Amino acid sequence: MNELFGLSMTYIAAGTVIATAIILLFVALIAVRNPVMFKMGLRNIPRRKAQTALIIVGLMLSTLIISAAFGTGDTLTNSITSEVYDMAGNADELISWDAEKQPAPVAQQTIPLAKVDELRQEFAGDPDIQAFVPFLDEQIPLQDTRTKLNEASPRLVAFRTDDAKALGGLRDTGGNTVTLAGNEIAVNQDLADAIDAKVGDTLLAFYEGKSTEFKVKAIVPSTLLGGAFNSNEKKGAAVDFSVLAGLTGKAENADGVFVSNYGGVKGGNAHASAARQKLEQALAGMPYQVETFKKDGVATAELIGNAFTTVFIVFGLFSIAAGVLLIFLIFVMLAAERKPEMGMARAVGAKRRQIVESFLSEGMGYDLGSAVVGLVAGMAVTLAMVQIIKSGAGDNLGVDLAVTFTVRSMVVAFSLGVIATFLVIFISSWRASRLNITSAIRDLPESKAPNPESETWMGYYRAALNGMVALALPVGFSLFLLGPTGMLLGLPLVLIGLVSPWFYLLRGSNVALPRELRLDQGPPRWPWILGLSLIGIGWVLVLPWYFIALGLVVLVRDRKPRGLATWMPAAGILVPPFGFVLVLLQHSRVRINWSAGVAFAFAVAGLALFYAGLDRNSSFFFFLGASLLFLWAAVTLRYFGVNERASFTVTSSLLLVLWYLPSSVYEKVVGPLNGDIEMFFLSGLVMVTAGVFIIVYNADIVLPAIARLGSRFGRILPAIKTGVAYPLTSRFRTGMTMIMIGLIMFSLVMMATLNANFSAVFLNSDTKGGFDDVLQVNNNNNIPSIKEAIADTGTDTSPIKATGELRVAYPSEAQVENKDRNVSGGKVNDYSRYTIFGADQGFLEATALPIKYRAAGYESDRAIWDAMAKDAKLAVIPASLLAGGHDPFGGDDTLLALDPARAKDNFEPFTLNLRDPGTGTVTTVTVIGVMKEAADTFLVLGAPASDGTGGMITGKRTLLDTFPGSQGQRFYLALKPGTDADAYAKKVEAGLVQASADSLQKLLDEQQAIQNAFLLVIQGFMGLGLIVGIAALAVVASRAVVERRQQIGMLRAIGYQRGMVALSFLFESGFISLSGIFLGLGLGVSLAWVIFTDGNAGTDTSGAGFIVPWVRLGVIAGIAFGASMLMTYLPARSASKVPIAEALRYE
Amino acid sequence: MEPRQDGKREFGEVVIDARGVVKTYDTSTVEVRALRGVDLQVRKGEMVAIMGPSGCGKTTLLNSLSGLDEFDSGTVFIEGTDINRMPDDKKTEFRAKDMGFVFQTYNLLPVLTAVENVELPLIVSGTKPKVAREMALKSLDRVNLRDWANQRPAQLSGGQRQRITIARALVNRPAIVWADEPTGALDSATATEIMDLIVELNSEEHQTCVIVTHDPKVAARCHRTIHMADGLIVREDSQAQMVAVAAEH
Repeated sequence: MNELFGLSMTYIAAGTVIATAIILLFVALIAVRNPVMFKMGLRNIPRRKAQTALIIVGLMLSTLIISAAFGTGDTLTNSITSEVYDMAGNADELISWDAEKQPAPVAQQTIPLAKVDELRQEFAGDPDIQAFVPFLDEQIPLQDTRTKLNEASPRLVAFRTDDAKALGGLRDTGGNTVTLAGNEIAVNQDLADAIDAKVGDTLLAFYEGKSTEFKVKAIVPSTLLGGAFNSNEKKGAAVDFSVLAGLTGKAENADGVFVSNYGGVKGGNAHASAARQKLEQALAGMPYQVETFKKDGVATAELIGNAFTTVFIVFGLFSIAAGVLLIFLIFVMLAAERKPEMGMARAVGAKRRQIVESFLSEGMGYDLGSAVVGLVAGMAVTLAMVQIIKSGAGDNLGVDLAVTFTVRSMVVAFSLGVIATFLVIFISSWRASRLNITSAIRDLPESKAPNPESETWMGYYRAALNGMVALALPVGFSLFLLGPTGMLLGLPLVLIGLVSPWFYLLRGSNVALPRELRLDQGPPRWPWILGLSLIGIGWVLVLPWYFIALGLVVLVRDRKPRGLATWMPAAGILVPPFGFVLVLLQHSRVRINWSAGVAFAFAVAGLALFYAGLDRNSSFFFFLGASLLFLWAAVTLRYFGVNERASFTVTSSLLLVLWYLPSSVYEKVVGPLNGDIEMFFLSGLVMVTAGVFIIVYNADIVLPAIARLGSRFGRILPAIKTGVAYPLTSRFRTGMTMIMIGLIMFSLVMMATLNANFSAVFLNSDTKGGFDDVLQVNNNNNIPSIKEAIADTGTDTSPIKATGELRVAYPSEAQVENKDRNVSGGKVNDYSRYTIFGADQGFLEATALPIKYRAAGYESDRAIWDAMAKDAKLAVIPASLLAGGHDPFGGDDTLLALDPARAKDNFEPFTLNLRDPGTGTVTTVTVIGVMKEAADTFLVLGAPASDGTGGMITGKRTLLDTFPGSQGQRFYLALKPGTDADAYAKKVEAGLVQASADSLQKLLDEQQAIQNAFLLVIQGFMGLGLIVGIAALAVVASRAVVERRQQIGMLRAIGYQRGMVALSFLFESGFISLSGIFLGLGLGVSLAWVIFTDGNAGTDTSGAGFIVPWVRLGVIAGIAFGASMLMTYLPARSASKVPIAEALRYE
Repeated sequence: MEPRQDGKREFGEVVIDARGVVKTYDTSTVEVRALRGVDLQVRKGEMVAIMGPSGCGKTTLLNSLSGLDEFDSGTVFIEGTDINRMPDDKKTEFRAKDMGFVFQTYNLLPVLTAVENVELPLIVSGTKPKVAREMALKSLDRVNLRDWANQRPAQLSGGQRQRITIARALVNRPAIVWADEPTGALDSATATEIMDLIVELNSEEHQTCVIVTHDPKVAARCHRTIHMADGLIVREDSQAQMVAVAAEH
């Protein structure tokens, strides 16, 4: 894996390693400068072993998720790359006929061997190109006469022996050289497995109605020389060049030429671009194309690996976010536990900085331990995920997955884990150090001095001013989104933002105090060290701004006025430089309402994001901006004295309403907005947070209801009451834990629900189209009548109720008019490549493929098919053609998509031109129907993997007239009730050499199995986040046992049985986990419903019923709840075992 | 044992009968002999104060007598039942029905209202919630806190909180009320008010009270005071003697 989110992994690795090294140096510096605080921190680690273990498990989860995502990416990249190298060997480029340049019948698309000799002479002594290897290849059905097993479309290749030497020569699986002569054949491993061929067997090859016998001389590896061209088409065999040339009539010609570069198997890629350029020059004016297929294959492998890593990281973001919350929660709890100790340390003279250092030392102990454990656990998770994919997808995967971990990825995962944890520990340490010594020693709640500016406009202006200055950098950058005006507003803020962090650092130090209060202490020196140690970056980003801030502080520290006029802070908010001066002039002891300030700054950024969302049609910016504005509203209402419950409940509810609005509603006002997978993450985070606000501020409403139901609960009533009431007294930790569980549940539920619904759309019984078996016929051996052909093999045809034939013109052979030129970017061609099917009478009479939209005048689906049976120039198109286009070749100039407005129920029939790129023949067909999504799956089922695309259907006659060179042919069989479709398919395949047969149900089941395997892996991966939420519950419960020891003692004294004490703790955890679970469940299902029914998921799903997979959701919720109860059981048990007398004395 | 008379009041039969109670704390590094064979008898309706210097074993004795803590040897009979032989469940039930506790640090549940705190022992011992609520309100009435029934502890003063713990201790009409430094966290005026209340309730309800205290003024309000030192009872004073001692203070 070389890239992540478009950034080079080498740069990411270098950056993260440097950052980790700085962190470790920083901690080493603490150890040297302040060994006492360092030891004080470290010695806390072994104090409570169970708690330490819990903390390490909690902290490791982020590292685990990152390393598992990287491990999966590495595994995929390396497995596919290895396969590309193994298959291609020394071959680097492929020269073949270019039908686009010069249309010609397939049989004539060859390269004369004389031309190859010319190329050899021309490139003799070339530093890049070593050899030219011409070859013949043809897809010819083969049958093993001993096993009677056959394969319909294996690739038969032929290389001249001397030529093949440049690619290492043909060798058997034991490594021995194989020379083929006469009718000898070397079967590759994949084909040998399929037809159970052994050395010495006789194989029958069928070509254009004639059969030829071959004797198996060797079993060879599945490489180019053995007929394996790509991972989807590995089955093949090699024969003597002259024999295949004789069979296909291609004497003195080759189907293509492999070019081998200098540099060996892997090194050849370095010469690929140069070689291609030279070859293209040499072949200029000739109908040939040059593909750097090995280099492209490796790049594709890289792309797939990166794509998977990105998908896993994005899906893992919920877990990573939950992991970060857990780290914060753990350290907030640790700080609460250590409060009296820290207060005592402060009382005896420890500075705030030293408290931070001690806490950081302890945190780094956990951090390093957890990063190592997380890395190893992540590797284990990768192993498990790969195993699940392998067992679920089986041979359908096309690649043999071998688990691989690259040192670079693992170093990045480790470093990212260390950095993320360090940052959270740093913030929580700093927060913990800000304690009131007396309250801390007596373990009393922190009390605040009354603020005379509280709830006043003056206080709000100052808060906003400070918020803007402190967050000037991100706010300034977000203003850039407003365009040129934003640059004008944002630039001064960005400049202030570079100074402001240093200013706030100095503001809290002795250097900023007025002369009479100043002690003999200088400004902090660590920014110097940081600036000097970060070569380059430090000189630009640290030192100059630190010195400016220092200079400003020194300049103004003795000039601070007693107060500011009200209008000044208000004006300062509008004029950033003026605001910065005012902030400098304020007394450091004047209280700032930071929540209001930060909310204001975020609201300004939110406004810019909101505008950017409208301007750029971006859902992400629009909703992020809107959500920030709602947050600001809640905090501001709270600031001005509006009841906390009302402020947060009203704003959170309105925010949820906004997120639930169907796009069809809000897009009427704001125009179309585009979103991608990032919306999944954002919606989860915002909606779950809003939901948690509503719960924690309103759940106490249920308490009177519980009391009213009192007599039903009997003795456990107090346990239920305290189970709800206690969590609500610690809203922060309860809310955080609920968010963690809710987030993961939301993501799992959304995924399961959407998957169930899309499976129902794409993989339902409609997908069989009214047939039971599909037969894919070899391109070179078309069958005129399937029923007769089956009967000729001696197979009973009485179970066949109906047959249907589809002729296929593949995208390389067919083009469709780009009628609406409906592409989102790039060059628009008049025609796009597309798959076209030609249906015969039998197919049209028997098919039950459902129609989504019928043209005016057609009363039923059957009417459509009947009309097509009468008029071969009528056509139906798949729904995907209206929903964004579909082109297997990719590239922005070949996308074909029709305007979705073109087809609705009773639409006006419209025409489409079909063109043969080879001959230029154009035929016009009239579209009278749009097939449902199931048709896409129907047309893909049974198709060879390399041609697996859906397409439009017209009449067989039209297809054959327009595309006379097309050779694709499929048959469908509808069987009489009671016939075993799978067994009949096998029987037919055994008899018919030139066709492969499968039961449609079996193919559908396989498709479902692959989808389920991937879903299971992704859900399992996301489910890792549940461990975070459950660990948080355990941490909260353990802490509650310690905090409430004395109360437990009292409860036991007045008559609580042990079980009741344990029960009350279980109720507490149950309340939190059930709230999180139901929140995630409710939000996930409801949002999935909005997305699915609103047609917002990239596929038009109107008309499809919404399914809630209750059983799967029940299992997910059950596992989450069961696991959380299990984890809380231990703390609950220890609470019940608290010795009463000891607990009552406990302080 | 014959009924005993003290001043104007006559006390009933012995309800607490402790003999040779020994309790040792083993902290793995040091062994502390907290009680070295204590003998104590308390009669029904009697108010007994336990005094002594810090670490002499007062609270340990109270915890051992009330069944909050186990002891190593000796016997404690409460209303004729050997408390040390009771299984934990029975002991807990016994506490819920027949004992009330008042602690220095109130130990009220902050998440429950005053009335909910008071009704707690009733509900856990199986009383119907409606009945429990009525009894709790009556009990709050007794301590003059009926109007504060729906307030949470954080909204009340120290004296009010201690009155709630007394209401809670008395709500199930226990035979014995155990109080560990009930006035320790209160100013002297509030402490006097609380002791007035305890004495008043004792004279009206005839409950037995065992009070651990440092304060001679509190001890002077009890019918007799036993003095402890080094895990043993070393002296016993009558109410009159303690009144004199309190006056000296």
